[in-house]
Amino acid sequence: MKRPLGAAGWIKVILPWILLAGLLLLPATHPSDNLIRLLFITAVWTTTSLGWNLLGGMAGQVSFGFAVFFGLGAYTTALLMHAGHSPYFGFVGGAAIAMLASFLIGLPTFRLRGPYFVIATIGVTEAVRVIMNNLDVTGGASGYRITEDKPFSPLEHYYTAIAAVALAFVVSMVIAGSKFGLALRAIKQDEDAAADLGVNPFTSKLWIHAIAAGLTGIAGGIYARRAAFFYPGDVFAFQTGISILLMPVIGGIGTVWGAVLGGVVFGMVEEELVVHFPNLHLLIYGSLLIVIILLEPDGLLGLLRRLFRLFRRKREDSGSPDADQILWGRGGVEGRKF
Amino acid sequence: MDAVEYLDLLLKALLLAGVYAAMAVGMTVIYGVMKIVNLAHAGFLMLGAYFALEMFQRFHIDPILGAVMALPVFFLFGMLVHWILVRWLPKSDTPTLASLLLMFGFLLVLQNVGYLLWGTEDQSILTPLTLSSVQIGEISIAKVKLVVFVAAVVCMIVLQIVLHRSWFGRSMRALIQNPYAAKIVGVDDQRTARLTFGLGTAFAGFAGALLGMLYSFSPDFGRPFLLRSFVIIVLGGLESVSGVALGAIVLAVLETFSTAIPLPWYWHKWSFYYLPPSYQPVVPFALLVLVLVIMPKGLAGLFNRKWKAA
Repeated sequence: MKRPLGAAGWIKVILPWILLAGLLLLPATHPSDNLIRLLFITAVWTTTSLGWNLLGGMAGQVSFGFAVFFGLGAYTTALLMHAGHSPYFGFVGGAAIAMLASFLIGLPTFRLRGPYFVIATIGVTEAVRVIMNNLDVTGGASGYRITEDKPFSPLEHYYTAIAAVALAFVVSMVIAGSKFGLALRAIKQDEDAAADLGVNPFTSKLWIHAIAAGLTGIAGGIYARRAAFFYPGDVFAFQTGISILLMPVIGGIGTVWGAVLGGVVFGMVEEELVVHFPNLHLLIYGSLLIVIILLEPDGLLGLLRRLFRLFRRKREDSGSPDADQILWGRGGVEGRKF
Repeated sequence: MDAVEYLDLLLKALLLAGVYAAMAVGMTVIYGVMKIVNLAHAGFLMLGAYFALEMFQRFHIDPILGAVMALPVFFLFGMLVHWILVRWLPKSDTPTLASLLLMFGFLLVLQNVGYLLWGTEDQSILTPLTLSSVQIGEISIAKVKLVVFVAAVVCMIVLQIVLHRSWFGRSMRALIQNPYAAKIVGVDDQRTARLTFGLGTAFAGFAGALLGMLYSFSPDFGRPFLLRSFVIIVLGGLESVSGVALGAIVLAVLETFSTAIPLPWYWHKWSFYYLPPSYQPVVPFALLVLVLVIMPKGLAGLFNRKWKAA
C-alpha cells in the first residue's frame, strides 16, 4: 500500500528531475569554462560521495580506503585508453577492476568490526600507495599521462560526469528503497540481530562495498581522463580517501541527499579554498569534522532540518538516530545530551 | 648474507624496538582507559620531533634533553586537549567511530598547524652523535641509535614504576581492568582520564623527539608511525603496557628482516628472491591487516587460547 504524497514528498520526487534538467540545459546558456570545470569536479566528487555513503552511511562501515578505488579507476581507464579502447569502455573497466579490488580488500577486512575495520582500511590505502609508487607498468611515482587524439572538449567531460552522478544517485535511491537496503540498515544498527533475522552481514557488506567501489572507480576514470596527467601521490593519496569520507559526513551521513549536499558543498568549497587559502584547507576540514562530530552528527542536512523545524510548529524530536547509530555505536550511549 | 650480517640486523631491530615501544605506549594507555583509538597520536609525534628541533636550533639544547623536556610540556598539552575536546565524547566500552573521527579531525588541524609553522620541506636534527658510530667486532652501530634506545628504555622503566607505585598509576590500571569496579572503589574516572591523556600525549611527544633524531621529518611525518603504533598495540593485546614491548620487538624484527629473508618463488623453477627495499614500507601495513584479522586479541590472546584449548 502506498501512502499519498505530501508536499514534502512531491518535492523529493520532483527535485532530482529539476536538478538534472537544469544541469543538462546549463551549457545552452554559454556559461564560462570555469563554471563548467567547477561543476565537473563537483560532479566527480559527488559521485564518490554517493558511493562512499552506500557503504559508510547505509551499511555503517566507515572506510578510509576509497582512494584505492578512485586510483584504480583512474589507472585502469588510462591503461585501457592507452591500449586503444574508447574511454567509456575504460570507465567500465575501471569500475570492474575497482570492484575486484573491493572483494580482495573486503574478504579479510570485513571480518573486523567498527573501528578495527576503519584502521585496517587505513593500512590498505597506505600499502596500495607504496605498491603503486613502485610499479613499473604505470610509470611508478612519476605518474601517467593520457593522450587523446580528439580535441579537448570540456562539455563531453561535463556530460560524462553528470551521467556518473545520475547513475550513482539512481543506484543509491534504488538500494535505499530495496530489501537489500533494509538489510544494510539492519546491519548498521545491530549486526548480530540482523544475522539472526536471516541477513548475511558478511556477503551484504561485500556486495555493497563492491557497488560503492565500482561507482568510485568510474569517478576516478572520469577524473583521470580530464586531468590527463596523474600520479599515485595524487589519486592514491590518503588525502583523497579523507576527502571522499568527509563529504557524506559533512552533508549528513547515511542519507542520499546528505551525500549529494556534502559532495556539492565540498566540491565548491575545495575549489574555492584551494585558490584562496591553500595553506588552510586541512585546518578547515579538521575543524569542520570536530564541530560536526561534537555538535551536529547529522551534518549540514541535519542543520537544515533543524532550521526548517524552527519555522514549523514545535515538535518533540528524537534527534538523529541514523547518524547516532553510525557514530556512537549501538544503542543509547550515556552522556550524549547537549 | 652471513651470520654477522644477520646479527647486525638483529641488533638494529632491537634498537629500533626500543623507540617503537616508547612510541606505542602512549596509544596503549589512552586506549586502555578511554577506549579511544587516538589517531591524533601522529600529530603529537610530529610536534614532538619539531619541539626537539626548535629546542636544538634556538637554544642549542641537546635533542635527548629536548626529548625529556617534551614530557612535561606535552603532558600539559594533552590535558588541555582532553579538557577542550575529548571529555565531550561519551563513555563507551568499545571504541566509537565518533572518537575516531574526532581525533582524526584534530590530527588534520595539528598537521595544518605544522605546515603553517614549519613549511613542507623535510627537516632533520643533526648532532655530532648522528654520524659517529661504535665498532663492536665487525658490527658498527650509530651512536645516536644507542642513545635513543637507552633513553626510550629508561623512560619505559620509569613509566612502569609510576604505573605500579603511584596512586595515579594504580587508579589507571584499575580503570583499564574494570572501569565499573574502579569507580565503585572511588577512582575519579574523569580526573584519571585527563591525566592518562596527558601521559599518553607526553609519551607521544617524547617518542616523536626520539624519532626526529633518527629520521628526517615533515609535518606529514606521523602517519606511518601511527599505523606502526597500532600494529604494536594490537600485537600486545591493546591494553597491556608490557605487551607493547613484545609487540614492538616483533614489528621491529619483521620490518628489519623483511628485505633480508629469501622468499621462495615459483616461476618455471623454484628460486629465491628478496623483497625490494622500496616495498619495505608495505610490511607494517600488511602486518596491520593480517594481525587484526588473524589475532585481534594480540599475541597474548593467541597464547591464552592455546592454553585454554589444552
